Amino acid sequence: MEASANRKLVGVSIALVVILAIFLLVVWVGGTLLGIQRLQTGENPFLRFVFVGIGLLIALAIYLATRNNDAWKVGTREVVWMAIGAALYAVFSWLFNGTVFFIPSVSQVTLRPAIAIPIFFGFAFGPVVGFFTGAVGNMFGDALTGFGLFPQWSIGNGLVGFIAGLVLLFKDRKKSLNTVLIVSAVLAALAVVIYLFNRNVTNGFYFAAEEPVSIFAGLSIIIGFILVLIVRFAFNKNIDLAAAVTWGMLGNIIGIGFAAISDIWINGYSPATAIVGEFLPAAGPNLIFAAILVPLLVVAYVAVQRQSGR
Amino acid sequence: MLVTWRYRPRKSLIQWFDPRAWMIFYICYIATTVFFWDIRFLLPLIAIAVIVLLTSGLSWKEIRRPFLFIIGFIVVFTILTFLTGRGGSEVYKQEHLIREFKAHFSILGWTPDLKITVERAFYAVSQFGRVFGLAVMTILIPYSLNPALYGVTFRGIGLPDKIAYAMDLTMRFIPTFGRDFQLTMDAQRARGYELDKVSGGLFEQVRKLGPIFVPVTIHAIMGSEDIIDAMDLRAFGIGPRTWLEKLEYKRRDYFLIGFGVLLLAATLAITFWGYGGFWVPPALLNLGHIIPQ
Repeated sequence: MEASANRKLVGVSIALVVILAIFLLVVWVGGTLLGIQRLQTGENPFLRFVFVGIGLLIALAIYLATRNNDAWKVGTREVVWMAIGAALYAVFSWLFNGTVFFIPSVSQVTLRPAIAIPIFFGFAFGPVVGFFTGAVGNMFGDALTGFGLFPQWSIGNGLVGFIAGLVLLFKDRKKSLNTVLIVSAVLAALAVVIYLFNRNVTNGFYFAAEEPVSIFAGLSIIIGFILVLIVRFAFNKNIDLAAAVTWGMLGNIIGIGFAAISDIWINGYSPATAIVGEFLPAAGPNLIFAAILVPLLVVAYVAVQRQSGR
Repeated sequence: MLVTWRYRPRKSLIQWFDPRAWMIFYICYIATTVFFWDIRFLLPLIAIAVIVLLTSGLSWKEIRRPFLFIIGFIVVFTILTFLTGRGGSEVYKQEHLIREFKAHFSILGWTPDLKITVERAFYAVSQFGRVFGLAVMTILIPYSLNPALYGVTFRGIGLPDKIAYAMDLTMRFIPTFGRDFQLTMDAQRARGYELDKVSGGLFEQVRKLGPIFVPVTIHAIMGSEDIIDAMDLRAFGIGPRTWLEKLEYKRRDYFLIGFGVLLLAATLAITFWGYGGFWVPPALLNLGHIIPQ
């Protein structure tokens, strides 16, 4: 039965890859070679759905490479946690996205505390729960708020929880942390270098069309990284806490990065606009939440777990 | 205790159809709307949303709060879009200036400058149309879809059992956690905590969210144990799931699904051939002059 399920999954993956290849070929032949305007980069809703497929393929590829690991088990508990995570993420997004409770932005940095939910659920309950929490929660949150539909951002949020949950693939969590820190540092540094060379790019999440990204928003990813680093080493002996913030940081960088970079094709942004105008103002502040709220949730959850014995 | 959405059986267009058929049509409608920026194509979609709203059987009293909230949000969002031109650069490359208002002061080196252009105005109108259609169609679902049918509906549109059940629970938990949030906030207020007055620097503001965030999340996780036990006792996930309620398509449901799929297919064809993008009536372009880039 398991072999048949695996065969089915491989079949689905191959079909997805083939469909994507056809889509991209159509875009390339039609847009680049034949010059059909609708298929060139620019506002292109069609590609939103293509990027949903690409995001799902990334998750599927990681699953296929490690499918024998227990982290992928989806039983009754995981089904309920998926639902709880997604519902909490939707409710917190709705409440804190500047609609019900207006938390003032600080120097163009909009506060989005809800991001701690997919990170925490991914870390505590595994990548499948994390992915569902981020993707479905973001979709319902946008629906509740009336923001509309941004499927590639839902998948990006799913990847945040998914990658935070990959820590469960490692028996020795501590060993994985340094690699994750180095990868995150390189990606954060790269984004900041791009910012320093493109200081005039405007903030995609801030309603002042001609105002460039503030220094604080541009460098917030570094501030977040330093905070994560402090938590990592200050709680060196509490490996749960260190792992949650460190993997959460990588999830946030890759997940939000995926969504922002996809806008190069979907909305016709330049790479600098996608990274400086979208990625940095979103991912930087998220790291600050990962470093402060996620540890609070981990400590409370571990205490409850100890008490309930489950 | 679970709190439910305000569903009740009504004589309405939505409830006349099978919920699976309605969900498929809803997905097609959303995908179709996302493809268009041309107000001429958006108008029929807005009309569909208005017809569905007017035939929903909902009284103004029932829907007043969420409706005013969402419409208020869309209006503010549209005005901000119009004032700032935010997002417009994705759909138009050239602007025809009608009037410009420039402030005589600066804030930290930035001088507020309001440009009223034909493109910004029409972009705001298109934006309003898109979001209005999506919001109206979405807001009606919890009022019109029987909570007992969530799971079987998601299963019926092709999701695996576990994912269908997770979606079912997600929709049930949302109003419950909304209520839990309110209760927790009231309890914290009684202790002197004021979320509405969260102040201080960035780190202080983040830290102050903890007394709301942590109890609501941990309470939800602790409460899940009862649900998990109940599901385990009923052997959830051991074999293919059967559902208490059975849904059967009628002829009208096939028509609705066909209409939705046709709508989406036509949209794909229309956009592929270069129509449906941002559009401004050519006569209006004469009202302003082109802003040099």
